[in-house]
Amino acid sequence: MEEREAFNRRSFLKRGGMAAALGAAGLMGITPEASAKTGTYATLIDLTRCDGCKGEPMPRCVEACRKVNESQFPVPQEPIKDLWPQKKHDDWSKKKHVIDRLTPYNWTTVQNVQVDGEEVFIPRRCMHCDNPPCANLCPFGALNKYEDSAVVINHDLCMGGAKCKGVCPWGIPQRQSGVGLYLKIQPLPAGGGVMYKCDLCHDRLKKGMIPACVEACQIRLGEGRPLFFGKREEIRKMAHARAKEINGYIYGERENGGTSTFYVSKIPFEKIHARLQESKSPLLMGKVQNALDEVNRWAKGFLFGPLVAVAGAVGLAFYQRSKERKGEK
Amino acid sequence: MERILHQERAILRHSLVERLEHWILALSGFILVFTGFGELPMYKRYMVTEIPGLSWAGDYFINLKIHYLAAMVFVSIMVFHALYHGWLGHRGLLPRKGDFRDSAKTILSMLGFGEEPEADKYLPEQRLAYAYLAGVGLILVITGVFKVLKNLPGVYFSPWFITAVTLIHTFATIFFLLGIIAHVAALIFKVNRPMVKPIFTGKMDLEYARKRHPIWYQRLEGKSPAAKEAVADPAMEVRETETVKEPIQAAESEKETETIGEPLSPQTPRVESVETAPTEEEPKEA
Repeated sequence: MEEREAFNRRSFLKRGGMAAALGAAGLMGITPEASAKTGTYATLIDLTRCDGCKGEPMPRCVEACRKVNESQFPVPQEPIKDLWPQKKHDDWSKKKHVIDRLTPYNWTTVQNVQVDGEEVFIPRRCMHCDNPPCANLCPFGALNKYEDSAVVINHDLCMGGAKCKGVCPWGIPQRQSGVGLYLKIQPLPAGGGVMYKCDLCHDRLKKGMIPACVEACQIRLGEGRPLFFGKREEIRKMAHARAKEINGYIYGERENGGTSTFYVSKIPFEKIHARLQESKSPLLMGKVQNALDEVNRWAKGFLFGPLVAVAGAVGLAFYQRSKERKGEK
Repeated sequence: MERILHQERAILRHSLVERLEHWILALSGFILVFTGFGELPMYKRYMVTEIPGLSWAGDYFINLKIHYLAAMVFVSIMVFHALYHGWLGHRGLLPRKGDFRDSAKTILSMLGFGEEPEADKYLPEQRLAYAYLAGVGLILVITGVFKVLKNLPGVYFSPWFITAVTLIHTFATIFFLLGIIAHVAALIFKVNRPMVKPIFTGKMDLEYARKRHPIWYQRLEGKSPAAKEAVADPAMEVRETETVKEPIQAAESEKETETIGEPLSPQTPRVESVETAPTEEEPKEA
């Protein structure tokens, strides 16, 4: 039970103590320890073992996710207005029962595709990226990456512009209109609701518990389960060991610059991706680059530009001075 | 350097360097605000992307790259500005004691109440506007630097810090924009309009300067006590006659001659004031 061990209270407190020791850095919000790596925890999703909870009304992970997060689900104010000047808004409040895709009321879903005559079930939820574009680019700082790996939406601060969904390579966050901060600035036609997605059970992690989906899976299948949660490095090793064992593939380790979710499959992910595309699913499994990589390459200019400016200013000031002095003579 | 151009009945108010600073900053600032707003998810929703030539504006990453480029230029000009003018001792745009009071008086006088207090090279509200835009600009730059850093892989800042920095950056933009609007809105008053030409050509009408900036004018004329502190520059005798040459460009051709009409100030030929300050309104650091 590596995930239990990974989560014993002492190691948790030790981490906390270390974080506190980094007070000076913490003042700036810089945590050097965390900068070297990515996040503390990760999830392993072994597709060779997931049967989509066949025969049950709802996959256990989905059910547990819905139950645990119910208190966070949106309660929109009716009537929900269109997001002017557009003639639409997002409303899932009448479709809460939908479980075959991600919605504001369903943060985990299990996809099902046929590849080479084999049925594959794919539990899907936020990947909790190492360098998440959603959190980096939220204009209100309403999405945060935590040290435990979780990428969490602050529902009280979210304006529902859905930019996070737009920059997420998987389009994970889902919007519910008629709820949230934007209602307070009406009739100003800005904002559009609140975004919802898996938060890796961030609050449960704080209490030393594991995510509800993993727990539910474990209750049903025990050691033969597809979902594992634990210390990132251990999970990574597990994923590699399992991939080697089945001569399979890993998804999530490098995608989007690295994530905290490691899928292991016997079937190449390209094939799964192709099937998902065929089924017109909005949730794919393609090779994705982190769009921030290209932007980040430009960041050097922030050193180069000012350096040129310093040289120019000094040079010009000297020139100006010497001219003045020459004039004095 | 600022000086009276008697033949042209004008005062050289802004050097080429200053005008370049102003306009590069203005252009990069405009691009920053435009692409910054593009980072709010709004151009698609409000159909800005449907304006011909702006279809790219809906792409957050294109916006971000342009934002980065413009920010590099903006920051570089700020650095240049602080260093160059700081070094040369230009202080004309720095706020002074009593600027708030004098600004109020100046604005009231524009509305027809009371007399305008005598102004130096810059009106008191110009100095305040400078400090305001420089301050807000600096906040934007500092928060922007952290925003650039946090995008880098492997760089981690604590959540509250990111949220604070992000909100400050986003809302400071609104204050920046308000400052720019006020800066341009000053031209609603006719009396301010002759200040437009100098930021393009560098030259301000002599009569206008005499009336609107009497302290500055008198100092340049050598009549004010401040002139004593100023550096007398014999070379200026030659220079002042130059037609439109910029100090920098003219540097080489400085020796070029042309006899000058008798200057208004017979005693002190030309004074190069230490007071030279940059353009009237750039959001640069003080």
